[in-house]
Amino acid sequence: MSPVVRLLTKRLGTSLIVLVGVSMLIFAIARVIPGDPARIALGPNATPEQVENLRLALHLDRNIAVQYGYFIADLARGDLGVSLYTNRPVTTDIAQFLPATLELIIVAGIMMIGIGLPLGIVSARYRGRAADNLVRLVSLLGVSAPSFVWAVILMLLFAFFLPLFPIAGRISDSYTIAPVTGFLLVDTLVAGNFRAFSNAAWHIVLPAFALALSGIGQAARLTRANMVETYDKPFIEMARSYGFADRRIANRFAFRPSLIPSLTIIGLDFAAMLGNAFLVEAVFAWPGLSRYGVAVILRKDLNAIVGTVLIISATFLIMNIIVDLLIAFINPRIRYSQRPA
Amino acid sequence: MKRITTTMAAAAVTATALSVIDPAAALAGGVLRLDEVAVGELDPGKASDYADSILMFNVYDTLVLPKQGGPGHVSHLAESWESEGNSYTFKLRSDVKFQSGNPMTAEDVVFSLDRMKALGAGLSYLFAGVENAEALDEHTVRFNLKQPYAPFVASLVRLPIVDKKTVMANLGDGDGEMKDWGQAYLSANGAGTGAYKVTAHNPQEETVMEKNAGYFLGVADAAPDTVRLRYGLEAATVRTLIAQGEHDISSQWLPPEVIKALAAGGAQLLTESGTGAFYVKMNTTKAPMDDVHCRLAFSLAFDYEAAVKMIAVTDDISQGSAATGAIPVGMFGANSPDQILKRDLDAAKAHLAECKYKPEDFTLELSWIAEVPLEERFALLMQANFAELGVKSEIKKLPWALFAEQVSKPENTPHISQLFVNAVTGDPDTLLYGQYHSTTAGTWQSPEYLNDAEVDQYLEAGRTAADDAGRQAAYAALNKRLMEIAASVYGYDRQSVFAASNRVKVPAMSDPSKAFGLDGMGFSFRLMEMTE
Repeated sequence: MSPVVRLLTKRLGTSLIVLVGVSMLIFAIARVIPGDPARIALGPNATPEQVENLRLALHLDRNIAVQYGYFIADLARGDLGVSLYTNRPVTTDIAQFLPATLELIIVAGIMMIGIGLPLGIVSARYRGRAADNLVRLVSLLGVSAPSFVWAVILMLLFAFFLPLFPIAGRISDSYTIAPVTGFLLVDTLVAGNFRAFSNAAWHIVLPAFALALSGIGQAARLTRANMVETYDKPFIEMARSYGFADRRIANRFAFRPSLIPSLTIIGLDFAAMLGNAFLVEAVFAWPGLSRYGVAVILRKDLNAIVGTVLIISATFLIMNIIVDLLIAFINPRIRYSQRPA
Repeated sequence: MKRITTTMAAAAVTATALSVIDPAAALAGGVLRLDEVAVGELDPGKASDYADSILMFNVYDTLVLPKQGGPGHVSHLAESWESEGNSYTFKLRSDVKFQSGNPMTAEDVVFSLDRMKALGAGLSYLFAGVENAEALDEHTVRFNLKQPYAPFVASLVRLPIVDKKTVMANLGDGDGEMKDWGQAYLSANGAGTGAYKVTAHNPQEETVMEKNAGYFLGVADAAPDTVRLRYGLEAATVRTLIAQGEHDISSQWLPPEVIKALAAGGAQLLTESGTGAFYVKMNTTKAPMDDVHCRLAFSLAFDYEAAVKMIAVTDDISQGSAATGAIPVGMFGANSPDQILKRDLDAAKAHLAECKYKPEDFTLELSWIAEVPLEERFALLMQANFAELGVKSEIKKLPWALFAEQVSKPENTPHISQLFVNAVTGDPDTLLYGQYHSTTAGTWQSPEYLNDAEVDQYLEAGRTAADDAGRQAAYAALNKRLMEIAASVYGYDRQSVFAASNRVKVPAMSDPSKAFGLDGMGFSFRLMEMTE
């Protein structure tokens, strides 16, 4: 078995154990937080009989172990139950809302890498000069304010005072795009509608940037710090003595070894954006899974809470596996460490 | 560095260019955009919230409608009706077709009632007293009640008529002959006779509706061609959207200061009132609230004027008006608008002196619902008001879920709870019976745990009176009795305020003579007019 396959198998195995643990934990937590889910779901006007009937239908009259047994049996059939919040199967809701959030965090992730890393490189290369100070200031601003503050500020600046960007939603009302993947940027291209694509792209810029800002700052600061340390290494001195150009030294010799810690943090940030996306989704009326997740928690929608948390956990774990593989790809020492003794 | 600067400049130029070509900027004049709290429940058998009501009143029709500008009901899908004993017979219009093209018949009415009762969700409890409905012929239907129930006709505004053939053709998985009663289908599709058809529905994001060209009453050209009902927009987003001309009517849940800012920016304010009130509920089973003199003292110490000022949006429009008693102005039994309740600290002190409990012997628990921040301000107001009587109190924040659970037992119910209660049919029975009848104690509406034979008697009389005069007399007596025993502090009559752009006219929410007196019905899109 190759070292990479061995690493992948090991990671998948631990991920599965983590997922089972998460499912048990969230299943229990969802049932001990105060409030009767049946009463909340049926609303203030429901009669006690209606509430009792729903409690029976949800098996809330049984002990928690039996309830978990029902849940696992349903899960094995791919059934996460019906959401008491939207009155639809949880799988339908997740299938509808997850692509919107994934699209948002993927674009935010691209911004994080595409802007954060170059800023870090520039900052390190021009260490102590104006460009470095500017990048450090911007990075600090990005890291120090939460995403939703940036969401409101960006909306005010670039949608209200300077109406350059749209305020809400994923695409203008005038476009009707048949869902294929649920990713509008992809679906518009599949439909061959490039105006719709640019419109969808324009809608995603502000929310994705608001979400990415903190990560951009973090990636820039981390990349800079690591590169500055790398610049003091003897092999950089040697590269200089060989007469390599500054840009080549920065991009080729200093950047690559500095990338590994940045990549780890970016991977974690990327997954954490699933949770942070909630307020950004709320501000920009982005119909995503994070907003759905918070709504179902507030309404104690048991099936939807468990379903959403499982999906977010699975996404988090997948992101970690991808980052581990990337790091293994970049750093041969990790690959070799997976070889059998 | 130079390359980065160039890239940023190019992005800015592209942004400007694309924003100019954005088709949203040139949106068609016939599109109405509004928002409500998520989710929008499209199945009319489960409808209970405000968004659900908006959908129901536009996609479906009912046998009767509330009369505009005053009490009473007028025929709608029904041509006429008559009652005899516990039976109500309705003659249906013969020119009504569902959006599917199927004709609307008495069978559909029977099916709609059966479905509502079978689901047992939403407002189905309103029809618990209906034994059955039977189709006497194609256009005549009879409802048989288990016992006399005067508000029955009013309840029919909550019985939307569903296309039986369409539902039966789309039954989903389930047990028995009726399987899921079409729940899966009706949660995503419309099957009514209404003036608007659903073209897209996502319960958390948006419902899109278009005019139904075959509507039996016709729809005016000026009415919106397309309606986009958006869910769950944040206040800041709504404010920006309306200011940019990209949104037309806000929900009623915007903070007053945001509505005020929008009004200052030129937005019009729409209102809906007469169906509910803000009640400060006193747990009559707990000392000192089990003594009527203490309750009267707190009622008289409450600063009604300050409460109304706290919810003012502009100098002219407020989210409520001064209360005149337990029943909002405009309903059977209400006092005249000039009999407003006022603070009387001397009278309050006199009652407190007669109370068997002394202020130093108790500390009041003033609760407020965590999801309604406004209630915290009222809790602080009460704390200050009652302190002037020498009464100590502590403020307790309760999430709704916890509150609903606590009030199921009198010993766990706080001394004081704050609630906004609405009449779901516009009839005082649906406002008052659930709050004050002794058999309904212990629900979220009735944390008073009131057990007063006289109140029960008037509530029953209001249900069974043969005519409107009898009902008026019963509710007037009830109002008087509720004031005498001070079951609650009757804070203010509630009024919903919506900010709207000037490209839409909504007579039912701006002209009192056109108002329906039923929550959500002001949003009948067919009666609106787009001015651009």
